[in-house]
Amino acid sequence: MNPAITVKELRKAYRYARRRGGAFGALAGLFHPDVVELEAVASVSFEIAAGERVAIIGPNGAGKSTTLKMLSGVLEPSGGDAQVLGYTPWKERKRLAYEIGVVFGQRSQLWTELPVRDSFALLRRVYDQEADGFRRRRDALVERFGVGALLDQPVGRLSLGQRMRCEIVASLLHGPRLLFLDEPTIGLDVTAKAQVRDFIREQSLTEGQTVVLTSHDTRDIELVCERVIVINAGKIVLDQPTDQLRRRFIARKLITLQSQAPVLALDLPGVTRRPSEPHTTILEIDTRETRIDAVIAAALALGGIEDVTVEDPPMEEVVHEIYAALDR
Amino acid sequence: MRSTPPSTAKRRTDRIGRELAAMAAAFRVGLASAVAAWPVLLGRAIFYAVCMMVLTAFWDKVGAQRLAGTFALRLPPGGLATYVGVTEWITLSVPAIQLKLEDDIRTGALEPHLLRPKAYLAQAIAGQAGGMIARLAILGVAALALLALSGRAWPSPAGIAYAALLGVIGAGIGMMIFAIVGLTAFWLRRVLPVLLIVQKLMFLLGGLFAPISLYPGWLRDAAALSPFGAHLAFAGQAVIGLSADDFWRALTLQAFWLVALTGLAALVWRAGLAKTLRAGV
Repeated sequence: MNPAITVKELRKAYRYARRRGGAFGALAGLFHPDVVELEAVASVSFEIAAGERVAIIGPNGAGKSTTLKMLSGVLEPSGGDAQVLGYTPWKERKRLAYEIGVVFGQRSQLWTELPVRDSFALLRRVYDQEADGFRRRRDALVERFGVGALLDQPVGRLSLGQRMRCEIVASLLHGPRLLFLDEPTIGLDVTAKAQVRDFIREQSLTEGQTVVLTSHDTRDIELVCERVIVINAGKIVLDQPTDQLRRRFIARKLITLQSQAPVLALDLPGVTRRPSEPHTTILEIDTRETRIDAVIAAALALGGIEDVTVEDPPMEEVVHEIYAALDR
Repeated sequence: MRSTPPSTAKRRTDRIGRELAAMAAAFRVGLASAVAAWPVLLGRAIFYAVCMMVLTAFWDKVGAQRLAGTFALRLPPGGLATYVGVTEWITLSVPAIQLKLEDDIRTGALEPHLLRPKAYLAQAIAGQAGGMIARLAILGVAALALLALSGRAWPSPAGIAYAALLGVIGAGIGMMIFAIVGLTAFWLRRVLPVLLIVQKLMFLLGGLFAPISLYPGWLRDAAALSPFGAHLAFAGQAVIGLSADDFWRALTLQAFWLVALTGLAALVWRAGLAKTLRAGV
């Protein structure tokens, strides 16, 4: 299969002047700046095949967003090379823009004061789309993503989940071959997250789009992507199918129980207790050994449970576990 | 039959055509957004009326003195108030594009725009120009209504036509000045220090509250040749007496400044964009 993305020894170092303390230090810094270099991406190489759905994950500051920015053309690398759909992104940013769709979970690409329909119409002009083809594609996406009732509402009045669905439709209106998704489910509730994941996966399967996703939510990775690239300190530390990663690393869940009793006595295989306050029990579950529902049922059987929360372990912990495993 | 590939010139023309179509779409969106927010437009018109009540009371008192040796003698009765009516019409219509640019550059909201095939700056300016035209229209109607209600002598029809044309172009010049101020956010992060300087220059060299024709010779010439004079003073002068020759001279200077400032904004944008692509948002 043809690669959609080829990355060879891509590197990015940021240079900045370090501030010295005190008034004299600041003055001296004007004439002799203390320039330091921070290596955000050390030297990464990988290929992503057309139609593949790949997650790039890592802790904060690992270099994943920097990599994504270089691949989408909004950041020039310090060294190395990359080809995205046959373009060198930072040299052919505007041409590449016709071929890619981008969703930033924390930044809207729609016009907040405009109705969704008008935002879409403006995007038609921005991407030079023929009216008929655009209308057909828009109508199909609106139906698939269930946003028909939202079209006449100003973007600023939508809920976060509704807005995110509209953002994804907006990113697909020009028929991109490649989709970059940066934290597409951040801040969404459980239902909205599930919807967004389903939409992305279905869209990719139906249209054959390549998806590159970054997320701190392990469920995004498990449910959308078939391959995971783990980056830390600007280097790729793991690159393998999601199934393998799941089996090795992300089979853990955290359950937090609020109870009337100060301590809950639960003794199940694969369940370990984490330090916590009285009346709060935090359990780490290895779902390969005991299912979540079995743990909750056992806790409820003890009585006096006031609240239950199920969470993924933070991505930092997952990545930490990955490094630990790699060191072993 | 084999088709020949389009020439470089044809491709360039097509690209410019598509860019203009996208700008026209952004302009329509800006216009529609401003009209949809009609209470804001109405509020601005009321604010304009209040400003004019205060300023006309002040300038009418100054003009009524008509003391020998003072500048009031050199203007038609009530001329100062009409002049300020025009400069305020322009000032209140110019969009605060510097705030949008500063915000997008400083917060990183610029990034999604860079992932699109159209120039961000052109789109931003076109969108803001749409809103500006809506404000010029509503405040223009308010100005004429206030003039009618005040019972003052009307400027000549030619004066009103000159003021309308010079005012619209002057507002465009003001927008480009503010756009350049906004683009300094690439380096300064906060544009307020630059904005304060530019606003003072607009006040002084633009002749916001008094016609530059009343300034001492050297200052009048400096103001008339500056972009600030082209922004405000020419349109204001049109309602207190501007010959056809002076009108064409003013129009030529305005065209020069509009092109020069647009070119300068494009250069500053390029430099800022290059910095951002190199160092990140």
